[in-house]
Amino acid sequence: MDKLIIAGREFNSRLLVGTGKFSSSSVMAQAVEASGTEIITVALRRVDITNENDDMLAAIARLSAKPRDRTKYLLLPNTSGARTADEAVRLARLARAATGINWVKLEVTPDPYYLLPDPVETLKAAEILVKEDFVVLPYINADPVLSRRLQDVGTATVMPLGSPIGSNRGLKTRAAIEIIIEQASVPVVVDAGLGLPSHAAEAMEIGADAVLVNTAIATATDPVKMAESFKLAVQAGRTAFLAGAAGKTKHASASSPLTGFLRDQ
Amino acid sequence: MGVLKINGKEKQFAEDKMPATIADLLSILGVDSATVVAELDGKIIERNKFGQTPICSGQSIELVRFVPGG
Amino acid sequence: MIVPTRQHADIKQILADRGLDGSGRDVWNKRLGEITSAEVEWALSRPPGYYVLDRLLTLISPVAESYLEQMAQLAHSLTLQRFGRTVRLYAPLYLSNFCVNDCIYCGFNRTHDFPRVRLTVEQALAEADIIAGEGFKDLLLVSSEDRSFVSVDYLAELATKLREKFSSLSVEIYQLTRDEYEKLFAAGIEGVTLYQETYDRDMYRRYHPAGPKADYDGRLSAADAITQAKMREIGLGVLLGLSDWRLETLALAEHAHYLIKRYWQSHVSFSFPRLRPARDVDRAQFMLVSDKNLVQMILALRLCFADAGFTLSTREPAHLRDHLVKLGITKMSAGSKTNPGGYSGRTGAVEQFEIDDTRTPAQVAAMLKTHGLEPVWKDWDSAFTSI
Repeated sequence: MDKLIIAGREFNSRLLVGTGKFSSSSVMAQAVEASGTEIITVALRRVDITNENDDMLAAIARLSAKPRDRTKYLLLPNTSGARTADEAVRLARLARAATGINWVKLEVTPDPYYLLPDPVETLKAAEILVKEDFVVLPYINADPVLSRRLQDVGTATVMPLGSPIGSNRGLKTRAAIEIIIEQASVPVVVDAGLGLPSHAAEAMEIGADAVLVNTAIATATDPVKMAESFKLAVQAGRTAFLAGAAGKTKHASASSPLTGFLRDQ
Repeated sequence: MGVLKINGKEKQFAEDKMPATIADLLSILGVDSATVVAELDGKIIERNKFGQTPICSGQSIELVRFVPGG
Repeated sequence: MIVPTRQHADIKQILADRGLDGSGRDVWNKRLGEITSAEVEWALSRPPGYYVLDRLLTLISPVAESYLEQMAQLAHSLTLQRFGRTVRLYAPLYLSNFCVNDCIYCGFNRTHDFPRVRLTVEQALAEADIIAGEGFKDLLLVSSEDRSFVSVDYLAELATKLREKFSSLSVEIYQLTRDEYEKLFAAGIEGVTLYQETYDRDMYRRYHPAGPKADYDGRLSAADAITQAKMREIGLGVLLGLSDWRLETLALAEHAHYLIKRYWQSHVSFSFPRLRPARDVDRAQFMLVSDKNLVQMILALRLCFADAGFTLSTREPAHLRDHLVKLGITKMSAGSKTNPGGYSGRTGAVEQFEIDDTRTPAQVAAMLKTHGLEPVWKDWDSAFTSI
């Protein structure tokens, strides 16, 4: 399988995994392992100072306790919770201070119902963060022009959603994602809304460089098996794309011949 | 009596129990510093400086750590 | 299969890597000869407008010649979908035939001996009036490399004065720097047509032995300057007959694809100038392109570039143009004069090449209507780009 390259760094896996919504940290860790992923997202939250039993966090700490060591996973902090560019920038800086890693998944979601990303604040934050030498992976609605604007300011990828976070509805934005893929000069990672491995395969078949999956794995009856399934689906989809899958045959409408005049030559 | 705003909530400390540095504060709160990022009055403090960064009454501290997320 | 790469290489590097600057001639010809019908069918089943080099390669292959009718039907539907039942009309205004270049194929070659003509701004405006009288609102200012007279300032002055009568102004002239293109843009010119003539370095050298135009790299990089200057329209093309049309089509497509990706706010168009008889030019030395080849090139490019403009000038004979309007052409000239002063007929100057479709604009418009196409004279307004 050909390597995924983001900001000059190579990855073997084209499946990114989110760590939220799991029933326990150990299940989360096992699922992450089964997925074969090399990039996992984490969020930043205020420490709950009244609760000493922060069990869920230990697993993450184990995964990245010594961030300056080479670990198996690249921790990708997201700025979830931010509703404005300023909040997102602040979270990104905090995250970098915590790990020394300058990669950030930029997520600016003022809408608490569908968690849809704000394009204006996202572009604003992206510009600031790129200038501060962050490797920015922006989460956006599937907007081709916004994708181009973000690439112009220097983001490392674009991450258009397939459907709203957690909705598991698949590639509802397929047509727009196809355009984004066609026009992109950076890797395109389809993020959000992929509910089934077949959705992930579909995204890869149409040429996405990678996908990010969280809810579908975390809330499956058997998250570890589901993680494995997504891993296989992403591989299948990518292989199909490279093989040049035949599109549906277009049957030209019967009408009068257009090149008959050439026969007379 | 000292007052610190921690994660948006005011917390009072008896004078002799007032934490002198960020490291002190974390230890009083029982929070493991290994995975925490701290902001003091809006400025990010590096983890290796927790023991050397003094705090005084009236300041605002944000303690943030990584949690699971998508 | 070539997997599309997403690197920020420049066009010179891209062409060299792919051997499309003449360096891979033999390899490409061999590959063309090996294309199978199955591959052509694969290519035809891809979504319309889907471009990867391999797909275009298949569509311009000799084997694909048996699929022209199917390609034509697809190209026709695609063009209809994207452009509707319309064709834009424009007219060229030749400003000068003084030239400092020595292009082997051109009637205006500096070594050719004939009385040269240059139009002053006033004379050019008089010609433009005649053109406007025919109904045109879209004007292409053309000149040979006569920088000392047809300077950037001259063009800017002319453009400023033409803006009232014409809603769309573009130029087809010697290449400029980015700053100069920006000056023209500010004066109201929104588009630039600049042909590489041939992407094959050896051929390029042969046909452009002297003069500023002899610089292949300079010529190639001009498109970047044009798009960086924020010109809205950029016209690309090769002069069909200078080199192997199939390989030229591949290079042309790579150039277009590069510009479309990098300068996403500029609209790319293709032109298909085929070598025509010209004074003092011996046509025996060229690789002339047949009508069938021309059709295949147009169809193949249309199937790969759904939204590019396709321009056809009056170089081509009337009957051929009438067929080509249904195959993807979106813009045509009519009633053209390729000699400076030709519209007023006053100076009797030498033409750059002989045109073949001598119908008047009104006749061309009528022809379009019989094909169920609406001639569009005005598609833009300078109010959108000028202050």
